[in-house]
Amino acid sequence: MRGPIAVSLLPGLVLFGTFFMVPFLVLTGTAFARWSGLDFAWVGIDNYQKMFQDPVFFKAMANTLFYAAASVFIQVPLGIGVGLVLALRPRGWKTLRTIIFVPFVISGAAYALIFSMFYNPRAGLLNNALGALGLPGNRDWLFDTATARWAVAGTFVFIIGFVVVLVMAEIASIPNELYEAASVDGATTWQQLTRITLPLLRNVIGTAILIRLLVDIGMFDLVFILTAGGPDDATATLALYAYRAYLNGEWGYANAVGSVIIVIGLVLIVTVRRVFRIGERTL
Amino acid sequence: MNGIGNTTAQRRSVLANVAIYGFLGAVVLLALAPTAWVMLSSFKTGNQIFSGNGFWPSPFTFQGFIDAFTQIQLHEYMLNTLLYAGFGTVGALGAAFLAAYPLARFSFRGRNALVALFSLALALPLVGLATPVFFVVRELGMFDSRLGMVIFYSALQFPFTFVVLRSFLVSTPPELEEAAMIDGAGYFTTLFRIVLPLTRPALATVAVVAFVNIWNEFFFANLLLVSEENRNVQLVLAGFKSEFGFNVTGAVAGATLVMMVPICLFLILQRQVIAGLTAGAVK
Repeated sequence: MRGPIAVSLLPGLVLFGTFFMVPFLVLTGTAFARWSGLDFAWVGIDNYQKMFQDPVFFKAMANTLFYAAASVFIQVPLGIGVGLVLALRPRGWKTLRTIIFVPFVISGAAYALIFSMFYNPRAGLLNNALGALGLPGNRDWLFDTATARWAVAGTFVFIIGFVVVLVMAEIASIPNELYEAASVDGATTWQQLTRITLPLLRNVIGTAILIRLLVDIGMFDLVFILTAGGPDDATATLALYAYRAYLNGEWGYANAVGSVIIVIGLVLIVTVRRVFRIGERTL
Repeated sequence: MNGIGNTTAQRRSVLANVAIYGFLGAVVLLALAPTAWVMLSSFKTGNQIFSGNGFWPSPFTFQGFIDAFTQIQLHEYMLNTLLYAGFGTVGALGAAFLAAYPLARFSFRGRNALVALFSLALALPLVGLATPVFFVVRELGMFDSRLGMVIFYSALQFPFTFVVLRSFLVSTPPELEEAAMIDGAGYFTTLFRIVLPLTRPALATVAVVAFVNIWNEFFFANLLLVSEENRNVQLVLAGFKSEFGFNVTGAVAGATLVMMVPICLFLILQRQVIAGLTAGAVK
């Protein structure tokens, strides 16, 4: 069986080796070098020193964490709430679930176009709707430093379909007997929610947060297309910051930033797995 | 008891219903209003879009869709993207299926390490690897090439596809294959005659998700493609935004068409999409 197994593994190994392993090794090596693709020189930890002295890097880091926080504290709780409500199976719940999932399959580039129109100070839906309500409109939401980050977060915090689906699938797997026993014992609906449902959703809530954090840590498309990081880097992310270095031919520096992105990703993953004890079953 | 569980609540107070539908209605509005508004705008004239007057198209026109094809040549980019997504999906599925089988069924040295390695790639913010990926792709002579892009997308979708297919095979009893092997069928005969038909539901599931992922991919397309004729639809959408003034009707209608592809796939294959995403997430 050894021969056929090796042949069988080969295509996957080649693809994975070429496009994941080799880039990963290149990244770890060149993060300690000055490199433009042509010339190469070891510089030790210079790239990291430069990074930690650049205020733009910290701005990009703060923005990235801001988007991650928007996901964890707005998007995921909203998704859980909708999932819980839909699990009550109000009339039309299947259709509503489908409708709420649709934004999830729309691309970042399409969202960028949608929201560049939506936030447009002159012809955008947001300002027109605010104007119609008699509220002050005509604000350039995306290019005003006071609102830019919130405007960008507003493009994705309502994409909750994925969380909703995960939560509903998990609720469907909770045995009904638990609720029956609880109500026999006189537990109120609220107590059933907080004592039975939410604790049993721990795993899936952690998973939803993990998946979202991974997207946020690498957030690029929306910001790159919508604002290019502006105004005054108020919306720039770490991925965009690394991309700028790449465009400048500072490949070693871009890779040092890339390594920070990957390390932050790993730290967040380990933390969330710990906090939510993902993988451990409660039943 | 109208609990949180799986019971269909028959009678609920009017107040509870108002709260439920009020909440869900608000969420649907927040999640979909900007997108719905842009889609409606694809039936508007350029003048109406620029003035921002009125939510509904008036006058109603198909000119935007005509412009999308005659002036922007959207069909050419759609064809490119179809090629990337179609062959990329086939490549990823092929490599992942071939690798998933031995790594699910046989035990050999390094098996667990390999499974862990492939799965770990799912947890990496891949934008961190941008520059090294660009370097590897260029060194292989695959930069700005359609074939190169297909191969790269196969690799990009490989970890997800592998993880889902392998966990599907792990949860499938091996009796049929063992019987076939005892009857003298070789490794690849068993793989293609027995295992492949059994895996079909899981393959369909991951195929839809991989296809939509590649259709919507922007980051690496932006990194690895430069020629006008190789661009995918997401790059074209991003281009619209930066040239917002030029042919706005074609841009809006084009964006609508590009979004409709994954939306329609999702509406038709809803069960597969949700199963695929949930399987990929929970593993």
